[in-house]
Amino acid sequence: MSFSGKYIEFVKNKTVAEPEKNWNKILLGFQGNALLNKVRPPKDLAKGYQKLNDLMLSFMAKALGNGSRYIWGNILAPCEIINSMGIRMVSIEALACFLSGYHLEDFFIDYAQSIGLAPTLCSYHKAFVGAVESGVCPVPKYAVTTSLSCDGNLNTFRFLEKQEHVPFTLLDVPYHNDEDAVDYLADQMREMAHQLENHMGVAFSEEKLKETICIENETMDEIAKFYRLAQKHYYPGSLTMQLYMMMGTHLLMGTKEFLDVVKFMNEDIQTYPPFKGKRILWVHVMPFYQETLKKYFDHSEKYQVLASDIVIDYNDKLDEVEDPFKALARKLISNIFNGSYSHKSHVIENLADELKPDAVIHFCHWGCKQVSGGSNILKNDMKQKEIPMLILDGDGIDKRNSHDGQIKTRLEAFLEMIEEES
Amino acid sequence: MIGYICKYTPVEIFEAMGEEVVRIEPEVTSFNQADTLMHPNICSFAKGLLETVLDGQYEAIILTTCCDSIRRVYDILKEKLPNTFVYILDTPRITKDAGIRLYEKRIREMISAYEKYSGKKYDEAKLETILRDKVKAPAVKTKKDTLNVGVLGARANANIQAILEKHNVNVAFDLTCTGLDRKILVEPDDILHGYVRGLLTQFPCMRMEAAAGRDELIQRYADSVDGIIFHTIQFCDNYSYEYAWLKDKLNRPMLLLETDNTTQSYGQVLTRIEAFIESLEATGRHTKREEIENRRIQSGGKDMYVLGIDSGSTSTNAVIMDQDRNMKAFEVVRTGAKSGESAQRILKQVIENAGLTREDISWIVSTGYGRVSIPFADENVTEISCHGRGAHYFNNDIRTILDIGGQDSKAIKLDENGEVTDFVMNDKCAAGTGRFLEAIARTLEIGIDEVGPAALTSKEEIEITSMCTVFAESEVISLIANNKEKGDIANGVCHSIANKAYSLMKRVGLQEGYMMTGGVAKNPGVVRAVEEKLGSKLYICPEPEIVGAVGAALYALDKMGA
Repeated sequence: MSFSGKYIEFVKNKTVAEPEKNWNKILLGFQGNALLNKVRPPKDLAKGYQKLNDLMLSFMAKALGNGSRYIWGNILAPCEIINSMGIRMVSIEALACFLSGYHLEDFFIDYAQSIGLAPTLCSYHKAFVGAVESGVCPVPKYAVTTSLSCDGNLNTFRFLEKQEHVPFTLLDVPYHNDEDAVDYLADQMREMAHQLENHMGVAFSEEKLKETICIENETMDEIAKFYRLAQKHYYPGSLTMQLYMMMGTHLLMGTKEFLDVVKFMNEDIQTYPPFKGKRILWVHVMPFYQETLKKYFDHSEKYQVLASDIVIDYNDKLDEVEDPFKALARKLISNIFNGSYSHKSHVIENLADELKPDAVIHFCHWGCKQVSGGSNILKNDMKQKEIPMLILDGDGIDKRNSHDGQIKTRLEAFLEMIEEES
Repeated sequence: MIGYICKYTPVEIFEAMGEEVVRIEPEVTSFNQADTLMHPNICSFAKGLLETVLDGQYEAIILTTCCDSIRRVYDILKEKLPNTFVYILDTPRITKDAGIRLYEKRIREMISAYEKYSGKKYDEAKLETILRDKVKAPAVKTKKDTLNVGVLGARANANIQAILEKHNVNVAFDLTCTGLDRKILVEPDDILHGYVRGLLTQFPCMRMEAAAGRDELIQRYADSVDGIIFHTIQFCDNYSYEYAWLKDKLNRPMLLLETDNTTQSYGQVLTRIEAFIESLEATGRHTKREEIENRRIQSGGKDMYVLGIDSGSTSTNAVIMDQDRNMKAFEVVRTGAKSGESAQRILKQVIENAGLTREDISWIVSTGYGRVSIPFADENVTEISCHGRGAHYFNNDIRTILDIGGQDSKAIKLDENGEVTDFVMNDKCAAGTGRFLEAIARTLEIGIDEVGPAALTSKEEIEITSMCTVFAESEVISLIANNKEKGDIANGVCHSIANKAYSLMKRVGLQEGYMMTGGVAKNPGVVRAVEEKLGSKLYICPEPEIVGAVGAALYALDKMGA
């Protein structure tokens, strides 16, 4: 076993035995891993992805290492406001994934269920609540959540406010998209900035937020460019890189660091050979640990995950002149997770028109009702566009809910089918 | 007829337009349409709703943006019922002025849309009259000389109410989605605005931001009752947070009851509620001494015998006991397709074993899933109470029981008098039960009795990760294909059962004095794995399958006053 493998095993056993006493060891592992990846980047990744990998590992290690300067958020909380104030936001979904690096997700999920949370609840939420309630993960001073993308958000954050006294702001995102809705949400965001000032002891500046939005728009252009290039070039990556792209657009959006990485990726990808295999548009989260999916999609010349809706879950650029809170409210209300499923389906159709994937794979994550519930609508819509679509059931984090035999058979049959079609 | 589901729906507005408005209460036998149109892993209320509404008996459906599953139901209905008025009302989670203003606007939009669709006119004066007529009833209605129970959690269907009524239990309050009376505000200056304010600020459900106010009210209400039923719906997870929060805060016994809105789940719901009622009225079952004496005199002062019979899904077990609590005879037979027939067979056999006749048996108590199908039983008691009594009979140090039977598993907590203080049961899923072991044994091509001994020979650690029986079976097939040893696979399976059992036991609290009952307690591999997890020994009585029947016999003796 490698040194890091032994360390992971060591920390896992220690943590299960004494949950309250091992956060420093967990943190040390994150920091060590970030350093190791900086010095010796994973060779099987393209250079741009190596940089992305480095950015995300360092970001998490630094943020978690500085307890007074980070807050908990959910993946759709407006990181622009938070980043513009010099605070970092760690989303509970990303935190759950990172902790699963120690193979602790079973322990946390079982813990959450043993205190009464439903076994059918989203595993990201259970893993996160388990990590906190078992005493492993320390709590920050504040948290922010939106009512999107699922019902779990308000409940998880409220539960931890009651149990662990972490105050939080809820941003209630209205279902319909009109000016009243924008005002309703923008006012809540303004109040959120005040709350952050009070709880975190930092000042909010509208100018800084506007600057952040300008960088965000530039980043969106670069990402669009990247996807156009990814259609043509073979760019060795992994499922994890798609998740890191999502972390980029949701936790580091509007930061110079992320923009620089995407710019670099755009330069770098052009040095790679043309891609001749099948391009996949991935819908929803991906089980980054899943052996069969890794085998087929990680640095593969035959099948490349071109893009995922979770990376670009809204498609318009923000108005740089407008009240920045209104601009951000518009962004959130038009997010694909809000409103009717046909809204999401239209966005994915547009994406498909632009990127021309050979197939779509829709991953139904355990406990995610709003996504799973619409999967058959999307399948019908894709059928009309003559794009083959596969629905895979599994779990983004809990291996016990992703059955390899089942995923393997479905995926291989689907790949055989799309190969034959061409 | 207009159908609605959510308590935030402005029902009175449609009434003011002269429409009949009814709350949709789905009860279905299958989710055939919902599983294909949506996905199986969706809240079963939402799936039931979809099945019911697609039948087409409603002219209009008013939904709210109450939860993720309902948002998807709307998408499907909109597509499948193009000629029906299917409307989703955007209900804010914030109950302050900003939320009320937005909700009022959304309701006005809905009114215009419905006016356009139906050609009817909204009349505010009429709304005012309707509102003034709605009288508010007091929320807590406790009764004297009977058990008082409160219902919390997600929307409870009529079955729960009916079962409680049948057992003369008074429902003192119902704070589920639909249970509470509406809060009606009449503000003469602005009727609609006042009405919306009342709607949005009623007792909040879990999706609302202001649900913190719930805690205080629930605590207050809870103090007025003997016990609480906390209801959740399969794949509706919102209320489990509240259960997790309340279970250590309320000083009243609480039953966590999960249902799925299908007619088939009635039996399970019944068992759980009855066991809960039994644990609440533990003292009420002792019959008066005189009555027993009378019976003794009637029987000519002879020895008295009672019979306990446990009709489980896999085996039917019977025990005969005398008035001094001595076990006279017992018998275990395999339950066939008809539990009634197995019962007749075992009755004959056990009486024969005891060397008695049917007339010698004074009282018969049945328990187990088939308890109601035993025609000769004088009374039936749930298997949860019976296992508690039986365990205490064998060893009065027992505090935590793990019972794994053919189709379910349960953890039961006892106090020092052997009374049940808490219990949990697995859901409908067969994972971690005797059925699961049978399926695996079949796959391994060994007998069910050989799984345990095989596990004890294991040398390599194998983890079975799938939680579902069907998936675990195919996982085992893959392991066999990879030439793994049967003993190692068997041990992996035993550990998988132990893990499930352990989390079940944790839910009632791990208290020393562990006992395992049920057929699976005969499997040394599972016993060893559970003991490893617990870090403690399990007490196992010589015939772990008859513990329930012993408990039933003890209940029969109670009846006889012995």
